[in-house]
Amino acid sequence: MNDYENAIEIKGVTKKYDGFTLDNISFDIPKGCIMGFIGQNGAGKTTTIRSLLRITNIDGGEIRLLGLDHIKDETAIKKRIAVVFDELPFHDVFNAKDMAKIFEGMYPEWDNDVYMKYIDRFQLPQKKKIGQFSKGMKMKLQIACALSHNAELLVMDEATTGLDPVVRDEILHIFMEYLQNGERSILMSSHITSDLEKIADMVTFIDKGKILLTGYKDEIIEQHGILKCGKDKLKEIDTEDIVSIRTNDFGAEVMVTNRENVSYKYREYVIDPASLDDIMLYYVHRDMKEWS
Amino acid sequence: MKLYRSLIYRELKLTRKRCILMLILFLLLSLLMLTPIMLGGLSEPYEESPVEMVLLFVGIVSLTGGFMAGTNNGLQKADINSGWKRYSFVLPPTAKQQAISDLFVKLCYILFFGLLSAAFALIYTIAADFNAFGIMLNIYLGAVCAVMLVDIAYSYIVMFANDKNQFKVIGVIAFFGAGFVLRVFGLFPDMNKTEKPTEDGALLSDKQFNRLMSVLTSHQTTLCILAVFVVLCVLFFLVMWRSRERREP
Repeated sequence: MNDYENAIEIKGVTKKYDGFTLDNISFDIPKGCIMGFIGQNGAGKTTTIRSLLRITNIDGGEIRLLGLDHIKDETAIKKRIAVVFDELPFHDVFNAKDMAKIFEGMYPEWDNDVYMKYIDRFQLPQKKKIGQFSKGMKMKLQIACALSHNAELLVMDEATTGLDPVVRDEILHIFMEYLQNGERSILMSSHITSDLEKIADMVTFIDKGKILLTGYKDEIIEQHGILKCGKDKLKEIDTEDIVSIRTNDFGAEVMVTNRENVSYKYREYVIDPASLDDIMLYYVHRDMKEWS
Repeated sequence: MKLYRSLIYRELKLTRKRCILMLILFLLLSLLMLTPIMLGGLSEPYEESPVEMVLLFVGIVSLTGGFMAGTNNGLQKADINSGWKRYSFVLPPTAKQQAISDLFVKLCYILFFGLLSAAFALIYTIAADFNAFGIMLNIYLGAVCAVMLVDIAYSYIVMFANDKNQFKVIGVIAFFGAGFVLRVFGLFPDMNKTEKPTEDGALLSDKQFNRLMSVLTSHQTTLCILAVFVVLCVLFFLVMWRSRERREP
């Protein structure tokens, strides 16, 4: 076991595809943190996750997981991490008990008692074939497997997508419990920002293969705001304060950065707090500046 | 050891249904071949001598067993379709460990069907008082090698598929590719030449039969086939290793 400061360190990672490039991305996830990885479909979330898990090879840059090199120390890393995909990657003919038999030999720290506790808690049948499970049950099974070998890093790619709010809430609650000892970290990619708003400590926002924002969620939310004004007043706002402008019949809504300063600068306008959803939406349209 | 137990358990469990199906087919065919013996048919006056009959039975049973043991077990396809192939990249077992498990499972099936074929060969041997074990071994291993060669080629092609859709595309390309290769072979005049039957209508003349027998019973043949089998096992392992190691583009 090694000592490390950041559970994930991504430095200048580049991956080129036909028509898409993951462009020199860098971000860190400190140990003990939940990082929400947000962006619209096709922004590069899955490519980033596949790169750091070495499902695909990168064209450039450096990735360290749990303080170890993601290529050189691949086997050591994989014993200490867990991954949850958006779709269950287990064969339909297996049941929950079979999966325990498969994983207990693979992971040195696999704990059958913990696994069975999760299976009971999720009310999953032990002998029913996975093929007969609902989507929610499949996701719960995948999560039960991921949490039963004392993984220090949990990586999830759109794990809550397609689940109903009750199941999503239950799962988020379990992640919070899982993090309580302060030694574990989570990277959770999603485009459902409400989930991340609930549990994430940090947020990284990716768009078109580039990292636009990364940092502590509360700071990002505090730094951004939506300034409401008439269309004719837009000229009064410095372009450097503007992310993008949404116009409608009643006026304009401007996403501003450095909210505190901006609120002093434009005292006559109302500046509402922005949600992660708003921030994502306005940043996605940053190239157009004005959109409706 | 625990790791291999897990890997092998997974593979055996996944291929179990297929194995049972093949076992049923094999047993049906073998029992059919046993019918003349059970009915006391080998003592009856037949066109062929009992030895020839036994050789025919042993040949069919060994060929069938060899085909079933050597054929692709569908695991790669199942892993691609379920998403396990992608998931396996994030699991602790290395590509080499997974390939060893693949080879072990393959050898288990080869041993299993080999023992079954040997058991049937033993019954024929006792019934006809003629030792057909050496012949059975050569035919069985020869069939295993031939089918394994196809399996290796298939596994190599499948290696390039990462998901269901790519698997379908690669399958279609491989199908037409194989058709093209066969078509090219068909262009050679000798490939379409069929053996002329002998005067009495038998497929093989006595001379040809004796030559075939001497080849099938020869220890040199066994050694050659065994050497080929070992080479194919190594090749199979290497292809599986490469397949498990190959990352997505």
